[in-house]
Amino acid sequence: MDPRELPDEELWLQMQDDLYDGERDAVCAAVRAALERGHGPSTVLAAGLVAGMDIVGADFRDGVLFVPEVLLAANAMKAGMEILRPLLVETGAPRIGTLVIGTVKGDIHDIGKNLVAMMMEGAGFEVINLGINNDAERFLGAVRQHQPDIIGMSALLTTTMPYMKVVIQALIDEGLRDQVFVMVGGAPVTESFARQVGADAYGRDAATAVELARGHMRQKLAS
Amino acid sequence: MNAPSDDVLVAFQPSGHQARVPRGLTLLDVARRIGADIDSICGGRRTCGRCFVGVVEGTRHQAGGDLPAPLSPAEDDELACAARRRPGETGRLACAARVLGDLVVDVPANSRARRPLVRKAAGERAIALDPAVRLRAVQVAPHALGERDGDWQRLAAALAGQWGIQPTAIALPALRGLGAALHAGAGFVTVALHHDQTVLDVRPGFSDRALGLAVDLGSTTIAAHLCDLTTGAVLASESTVNPQVAFGEDLMSRVSYVMLNPDGLARLQQAVIGALNQLAHAAATRSGATSSDILELVVVGNTVMHQILLGIDPTALGAAPFTLASHAPLELRAAELGLQLHPAAMVYCPALEAGHVGSDNVAVLLAERPDQADALTLVIDVGTNAEIVLGDRHGLHSCSSPTGPAFEGAQITHGQRAAPGAIERVRIDRASGVARVRLIGDDDWLAADAPAAATGICGSGIIEVVAELLLAGIIQPDGRFAAAEWLQQRFGAVSAHWLRTHDGRPAYRLLDAGQSATGHEILVTQDDVRNVQLAKGALYAGCRVLLRQRGASRVERIVLAGAFGSYIDPLYAMVLGLIPDCDPAQVRAAGNAAGDGARIMLLDQASRPLAATLARQARYCETAIDPAFQEEFVAALHLPHASDAFPQLAARGMLPTVTHAPRERRARRQREGL
Repeated sequence: MDPRELPDEELWLQMQDDLYDGERDAVCAAVRAALERGHGPSTVLAAGLVAGMDIVGADFRDGVLFVPEVLLAANAMKAGMEILRPLLVETGAPRIGTLVIGTVKGDIHDIGKNLVAMMMEGAGFEVINLGINNDAERFLGAVRQHQPDIIGMSALLTTTMPYMKVVIQALIDEGLRDQVFVMVGGAPVTESFARQVGADAYGRDAATAVELARGHMRQKLAS
Repeated sequence: MNAPSDDVLVAFQPSGHQARVPRGLTLLDVARRIGADIDSICGGRRTCGRCFVGVVEGTRHQAGGDLPAPLSPAEDDELACAARRRPGETGRLACAARVLGDLVVDVPANSRARRPLVRKAAGERAIALDPAVRLRAVQVAPHALGERDGDWQRLAAALAGQWGIQPTAIALPALRGLGAALHAGAGFVTVALHHDQTVLDVRPGFSDRALGLAVDLGSTTIAAHLCDLTTGAVLASESTVNPQVAFGEDLMSRVSYVMLNPDGLARLQQAVIGALNQLAHAAATRSGATSSDILELVVVGNTVMHQILLGIDPTALGAAPFTLASHAPLELRAAELGLQLHPAAMVYCPALEAGHVGSDNVAVLLAERPDQADALTLVIDVGTNAEIVLGDRHGLHSCSSPTGPAFEGAQITHGQRAAPGAIERVRIDRASGVARVRLIGDDDWLAADAPAAATGICGSGIIEVVAELLLAGIIQPDGRFAAAEWLQQRFGAVSAHWLRTHDGRPAYRLLDAGQSATGHEILVTQDDVRNVQLAKGALYAGCRVLLRQRGASRVERIVLAGAFGSYIDPLYAMVLGLIPDCDPAQVRAAGNAAGDGARIMLLDQASRPLAATLARQARYCETAIDPAFQEEFVAALHLPHASDAFPQLAARGMLPTVTHAPRERRARRQREGL
């Protein structure tokens, strides 16, 4: 079906459906059709891609979708973003926020963390993914360089998650703690552990993490 | 032909050793001179009966009447010893029979010092018997007035003279008892030697009691096999739950415990030492012995268990780059660890492979020897961490994959460990979707009117139920339950019997509340399926990474080690995509291969350097940082796989048929209110 023939409301739904199904080419075609029709890149991002990824995130949280489907959708999202990014820069449209994310020192697992990074991108965040095995210095360096709104730390081992506290202490020591919202997650991490190490929020899954990040950005803008 | 008349020709079979030797030597002397292998503990005192041999050629000559008898006649003490130690066998004691004429001697397998142990069952491995701890009886000269040598020096001289060995040390407990033993035995004592170098024990008179313990130290279960070091027989096997479980279920939480508690390491070490002492006591008691008869202990385990046992801080194993204190094998005194065995008992801890792969996997390699295989072999030891080895005689690759505890019943709504009452087999009727189950300990499928007996689902049951749900079309290859409307249409009203909702998501009722010992329905939930997908995806991806490194696309043979491997049905493991496609006839359960490997190292000292070599030969791959792992993992989350072919399953009609409901996308969004 040619997306150009659809009325606006149907076009957004079509884009979301194609995103949900990980249909990369179809998503790109729908994005182009929406732009041709005169919609601004911010509108296409919000009404099409971000709205679509929200459904993906909710279904992932509810066990309807699983890792492979989410990765496919995230890749389709990425392809759509490639088209929008230069236009967004051109129009000076502000990003929803900036996030630095990484797995802490000693931990080399990153599939879950990458999923969170992709969902955050899908929600419209600028994401700096530091990868695995990051010591406090790397996190501090990224905070200084990118001035993020949020830091996300991940750990998959009970033996590596205590390092989150080391990073948070380093942020305090360097006087950077107040600038960033610290979110933590990973299989062994719990709400109480997050409180204990002095994090601001715990995301039990990717969709929750996105909601928390958005909530923080809303609050930040309001104040 | 022209040999001097006081020489005789003696040949040993099956080894083929032969030589002309002076008339009048004992057969045991002849064997030692020319290097033929005949066992002896008593050192030629017509006591132990180990050197029993058959005479092949000589008897015929004798019967011919034209040649003198080739051997000296048996005397009373020889006949008595033979009757006591080798009842029903015909032959002579090599230490008593002197050669008088040419003859051929048959050395039966059980009279050789280094000998193959007989396989009792098909599954049992042939192990060479050549233990590190050996018994040797000697006559020690009495101390003459004016002589400067002490008891130990005279014992060492006697061992050198009578056994041709040069012991270099005597353990303190043995030295303490040496004088009394020599006195009680009137100079005739039996000595236990470690590598023929260190005297561990001295007993008066003749003794053939020497025990060893082979232990598989798992993070969940500890299994011990008590062996007779002089015969290789397994006298008793005992197992217990690793008491460290109380400090943390999985390995990493034990490492955390050490990190967070100042006395954590000591407590974990004491727990495992206590368990080993209990196991040794229980096994010894069961076989009519005592712990103090145990002269050597071989312990295999993962790297964390290994370091905790030795009291080495495992913290560095808790995080990348997973640094070992040492990967080399260790020999130490049991008393150093607080083990209550023989006071001079030794402990052998075999070589480790890498930060995540311990001596338990090395033991599996030793038991299975994939390095000798012609066929490309995949050896999988399924546990919380699966150790995977791929290889053949051209080389070995290994990795460890974080499967998690789903296959041990953890993280599964109604999962449990394998125990009586657990559901281990599942069949789902393709037309009605109704399941029948079999419980551990039962021979038959559970009758519909059977009393409540089922307690949960164990690992093999979890594999079967998810595979059967897939084959019945109740779950889709992506792991998701088919839409309820579609299931109702496909199965009709009967679907109401088994289709459930759990936490707002679809679930399958495997057993009704009336047949469950818990009083509740036994369910398989969407989350359970997801956890199985994660576990099997990690395992399969590990296999694929190794195949890729090897440059191969298919395996020819699969060996499933560990208790779990003995219970799972290989076909169902394939339907799930837990293991790659392979001819089911070439998939074999290896039982407790790690325990068998420990036993091999206990009974055959030559296997120890071999194990160390195997540990170094296997090329270890860190899956988590392998660039291909994530991609492989994601593809392997599908049931059985997103892209790999399963021709063996296809040939058996055991691939899921893709006849699912079309995705109702708009309806989904409306339901979500979006």
